[in-house]
Amino acid sequence: MESALLPLITSPDEAVRNRSLDRICREANREKLLDECRLLDRFRQHSTNLYETVRALFFLHSIFRFHLPEKPGLRPDGLIPFGGYVHLLERRFPEAIETFWQSAAEHGWSGTLCSALAKAYHQLAFQTLADQVRTSVRSVPGNQWMFRLGHPKDQPLEIRPELLTASGNLFPVLTERTPVRMDLTHSAWSDIFFLGMDFPEGARVINVSVNLGIRGRDATPEPPIESFFRVIDEPVVRLVSVDLESHRDIRDLDEIFDYAADYLGLLKAALVASGLVPPGLEGSGQKLTDLLSRLVGPRRGIELVSHVRGIPKGSRLAVSTNLLASLISLCMRATGQTRNLEGPLEESARRLVAARAILGEWLGGSGGGWQDSGGIWPGIKLIRGRASAEGDAEFGISRGRLMPDHEILCPPRLDAAIAEKLQQSLVVVHGGMAQNVGPILEMVTEKYLVRSEREWTARREAVTLLDEVLEGLRSGDIRRLGQTTTRNFFGPLQTIIPWCSNRFTERLIARSREVFGEDFWGFWMLGGMAGGGMGFIFAPEVKPRAQEWLQGEMKAVKTELEQALPFAIDPVVYDFTINQNGTFASLRTGSDAILNRNYYQFMLPYLVRQDPKSLSRCRHSELQLIGEVCRADEAYRALVPEIFRRLFPETGEVKAQSSLFALLEGNGFDPVQHEQVRADLRAGRIGLAQNRLPGRTRIEDVAPTEIDDFTRNTRRTKIDRECGEAALARGEIAVVTLAAGAGSRWTQGAGVVKALHPFCKFAGIHRSFLETHLAKSRRTGQTHGSFPPHIFTTSYLTDSALRAFLASHRHFDYPGQVILSPGRSIGLRLVPMERDLRYAWEELPQQTLDEQAQKVRESAHSALINWARTAGEGSDYTDNLPSQCLHPVGHWYEVPNLLLNGTLAQLLAHQPSVKHLLLHNIDTVGAGLDPALFGRHIASGSTLSFEVISRQIDDRGGGLAKVDGHLELVEGLAMPREEAEFALSYYNTMTTWISIDGLLGTFGLDRADLANPVRTQEAVRSLARRMPTYVTLKDVKKRWGSGQEDVFPVTQFEKLWSDMTKLRELSCRFFLVPRPRGQQLKEQAQLDGWLRDGSAARVESLCAW
Amino acid sequence: MKATKAVVTAASPAHRTLPLQTLVDRDGQPRSVLEILLREIQSAGIEDVCLIIHPGDEEAYRDAARGLGINLSFVEQRERLGYGHALSLAHDFLKGEAFFHTVCDHLFISRDPDRSCARQLVEHASRAGTAMSAVQSTRETEIHLYGAVSGVLTRSTGAEPVYQIRDVIEKPTPTEAEQKLIVPGLRAGQYLTFFGMHVLTPLVMELLRESVQTARSQGGQPNVQLSPVLSELARREQYGAVVVQGSRHHISLKYGLFYTQLALALHGSDKPDVLTELVQLLARSHQ
Repeated sequence: MESALLPLITSPDEAVRNRSLDRICREANREKLLDECRLLDRFRQHSTNLYETVRALFFLHSIFRFHLPEKPGLRPDGLIPFGGYVHLLERRFPEAIETFWQSAAEHGWSGTLCSALAKAYHQLAFQTLADQVRTSVRSVPGNQWMFRLGHPKDQPLEIRPELLTASGNLFPVLTERTPVRMDLTHSAWSDIFFLGMDFPEGARVINVSVNLGIRGRDATPEPPIESFFRVIDEPVVRLVSVDLESHRDIRDLDEIFDYAADYLGLLKAALVASGLVPPGLEGSGQKLTDLLSRLVGPRRGIELVSHVRGIPKGSRLAVSTNLLASLISLCMRATGQTRNLEGPLEESARRLVAARAILGEWLGGSGGGWQDSGGIWPGIKLIRGRASAEGDAEFGISRGRLMPDHEILCPPRLDAAIAEKLQQSLVVVHGGMAQNVGPILEMVTEKYLVRSEREWTARREAVTLLDEVLEGLRSGDIRRLGQTTTRNFFGPLQTIIPWCSNRFTERLIARSREVFGEDFWGFWMLGGMAGGGMGFIFAPEVKPRAQEWLQGEMKAVKTELEQALPFAIDPVVYDFTINQNGTFASLRTGSDAILNRNYYQFMLPYLVRQDPKSLSRCRHSELQLIGEVCRADEAYRALVPEIFRRLFPETGEVKAQSSLFALLEGNGFDPVQHEQVRADLRAGRIGLAQNRLPGRTRIEDVAPTEIDDFTRNTRRTKIDRECGEAALARGEIAVVTLAAGAGSRWTQGAGVVKALHPFCKFAGIHRSFLETHLAKSRRTGQTHGSFPPHIFTTSYLTDSALRAFLASHRHFDYPGQVILSPGRSIGLRLVPMERDLRYAWEELPQQTLDEQAQKVRESAHSALINWARTAGEGSDYTDNLPSQCLHPVGHWYEVPNLLLNGTLAQLLAHQPSVKHLLLHNIDTVGAGLDPALFGRHIASGSTLSFEVISRQIDDRGGGLAKVDGHLELVEGLAMPREEAEFALSYYNTMTTWISIDGLLGTFGLDRADLANPVRTQEAVRSLARRMPTYVTLKDVKKRWGSGQEDVFPVTQFEKLWSDMTKLRELSCRFFLVPRPRGQQLKEQAQLDGWLRDGSAARVESLCAW
Repeated sequence: MKATKAVVTAASPAHRTLPLQTLVDRDGQPRSVLEILLREIQSAGIEDVCLIIHPGDEEAYRDAARGLGINLSFVEQRERLGYGHALSLAHDFLKGEAFFHTVCDHLFISRDPDRSCARQLVEHASRAGTAMSAVQSTRETEIHLYGAVSGVLTRSTGAEPVYQIRDVIEKPTPTEAEQKLIVPGLRAGQYLTFFGMHVLTPLVMELLRESVQTARSQGGQPNVQLSPVLSELARREQYGAVVVQGSRHHISLKYGLFYTQLALALHGSDKPDVLTELVQLLARSHQ
């Protein structure tokens, strides 16, 4: 058969290559698509051209993820072969793909297998791209030798003689000051390496090097990055990060390659990428002292220091890449790898430093775009992708080269006064949000490589907008520039990635328009997504007022939204100037050979604690000199009180502890139970391994006949629907939305209220989960004539925020009752046991990461195990904000809380007709009062009817099973064996239809007992004792410094709602529902697929705003 | 390019006594380093040699070279303006002719029993009719010690490949070498570095004198080097490089004299005796 899709990959004709995959797939039937998949799979196995292979892989992912599941004829349920899953985890993607294809041949095609193949192709595509970037980075001329060098005696680099001559025991200090970069066009993410290598013609950005100062704090804008290099008279590598307040004397070569062990990973990566400690020495077993002896002479060492002047993380100004480039440049200057020891770099050296920075980012397990090291170049430059040519490492493999070309723009391509004009109109801010941009970069890559119709058109438009920006820069027309960047933001960028914007940003833009009218010239998004670094362009005459206003307005909007969106810091406004030097070095010698004030502010408290006899001669001389400087220099004299403050810190910790204890007391913390749990945990009676059911437990899959299938319409469905519609009209049901959680996975432990997160635009506005659920209830009320009461369960984390939010929005004018059910149980998190950490990371199957990232992760795990040991295993976790130290004790308590806190009694008193509840998670956005399901629940007479969906590859965490013959929902952490879950066809959605009287009966209560708190309390305690308690690990973020974040795994305890199915006396049913109804949104990375597969549109169709 | 004259630089104050040291040559005869070097030059058919020396060294050098039958001229370098300046002082001696050049702290051992290293170079230069430098393939970990060249292979037949030089860089870092000095045909991490002997055209003398004048006019303490001049030569004229069949021994390095002696002995008539002694030394040192 002739493929209709392969020409889209291989045709020499660009018009054919750029045709949309989606259009062809929509027109094909299931068999035709499967035939195409077979051809594509064969092609990807034999193609020698990297980009053709990768495009085939993305085509396959797209077909299995979006197109095949839409075609009739697939089985609604299916199983994923466990062996294939293990292959996936261990990154053996081709083997996983083969296993899944074989399973399809044996058991037929199902949505389940399609999801597995989609994931496998997706991961293989990114792995192939990452491998190519890695090969290209290592192949860049000038980088290769470092990987061949395996012994200190072979180290060919020498420290320049200017740095080796001490004057009065003080070695010279080489200082590098480096600006950061702003992207004047937003490149529509075309600076992602993969994309520049696929479509170099479209990879163009205008990139400006800038000095920054924080308005109100810094007198003038300066290069924000400063780094220092000097020889020291101790045989160690001393690394100091002044802004991260971390320092270490390294004596062992292997420590240098341990990037995640501390906050000094970037400095270590710079040492390695600059060739001072070549990557070929990793694992060589050689001594660091031998290497140092070769580089700087016996009994000597090196000190490398970094300092970022208070620019918060998430600034979208590529601070970390430019810091890395600054450090690399410094080390390369020191070793004679650049011609200039001082001053700016030559063009060839800049390119080399940029290439080494890419290498350093790869070594450190991070990554940026190819424009990110733009700060080492001066002024305004056009950076372009370049087609690969003969002699390039990429030639014949990809269309573009890894490294772009940089053209420094100057008149006539640039208006002579453009720098000043920009400075007069542009207000650069950090909105305070710090988010992981990684998922967005993956989405963009995939969409571009499959040439998705709308996105590809938008990308073309973004390319033409760059020409408009260039024209604006040439003519000096800043107003026009502002119009272009705004059009870019609301047009192409949001068409390509709707998630790059958010309510915070759009509120600020709207308010700027309201307040400044015609004098607001435009918005400009910096970096991967809005909310952090951003630009607002104003008429020059209003700029000072606009700066002042934006400072206040950002703070006000942040205060309003800070429970809903992940803010890391308070918003700031920057002052900036365009830097005309690029990175720039100078040598300080003699009595000037000292570092900056911030270095001594950080290091002196540590040094004064040392025995003076233990200090080296150079340190002695340096401290004497600093003493003299302090006497003569006012700025240095101010160090003294600061040093005392650091030596004897204030007791802020005590205040935080008292606030924590107040929270515990006010939220039902049980200290006796807590101590019991701690003792059990330390004794090993409970733990992650003990969550599992006994190994002899029989876990079997459930037959389709044992559940009610709602994925197909039947005659019975019609009857159920009519029954449900009548009950809805009679007002027999209330909705209970679980909104007590902070959505740990949603914002990676940032601690926001997930219910309030404005996660998606519906009807043109960003809407929160809470508003979306109310909109569904409103639609139900409008359709059936009775607005169901809507209960949101809350916890200490979410209660006040939800109350305030609902009050400020007047319950979104919902005509029915809106009730908050506050939590009545709370736990205090514990420092985890090493045993549990090792079990989670070493015994449970884990997704192996790409080679270097995996090394970094293992290093981080080892550091965290060390943290648990030193902090005290099983001790209270109190070293964080109080709200991050507490935890809800599991969603099982949410329903009993309705009994305990009087919510159910209040509901029934107000609306006695209510007989049922629909309980669902905040993130099950498709769940709603479907009349057919409701009708079946009523007709079945069961107490609890649970909704399940057909399992897909990412549905991990248990499922519906026959446990020793009894139908139950089994949590993933209770599965006796890992593979048991893979024998289960159905996944639990948590959505439950509840008959109130039946439930009360299970507790041994009736409606009248709800007025008796003692009896109710006893009933709840009694049932709680029958529910299993699980130990879990949760990641919590600890924020510090300027938006820096650490993530710690902590231990907590939970009882889970699904375990109600274990109660043999309780009558339960299970409904198989369509995936869009049961799908939970746990991670923001899911949003794009959820939008593309039509689930978002389905949700919107259920809502009335 | 027929070279009938040679220039040997020996003016460095740090190395001025090295040529006067005595080694035992391949024939088992004790000779001064200078004498061994001059015999190498003589084997290439060159009888007129100019030695650039430190002031006051002429007598000692004449003694060290006595009885060779070579016409020796001496020029003293009175100003310390660098290696290139020292070489430029041979201008009057050369009288506009092409010349052979080497330095006094290197000795050479040919693998061809019939042709010394110098003879191989002079023959190739004569055949090509251009300036030519002897080169050898060197690991990237050692290139920071030598001048290095980039070029393309022009003749691969015969035992000694010949290249057309494109650029010359003095003591490059491996980073610079990888960017600018990759030579097709060599193994990864290997570069062509100077062997320590050249056949050069009169243009080199002109360029050296220009460099000295420029350096003087710029003030300070000039340090005129040969490599930038050779780089310029490659831009102005055809300039070749030949990989000679032999090894170079740098006697001014740490243990340089010792290693050179060892190499001479292991390539000479006393090889069995020396090897025996070495084995015994090794055995005793491990007792």
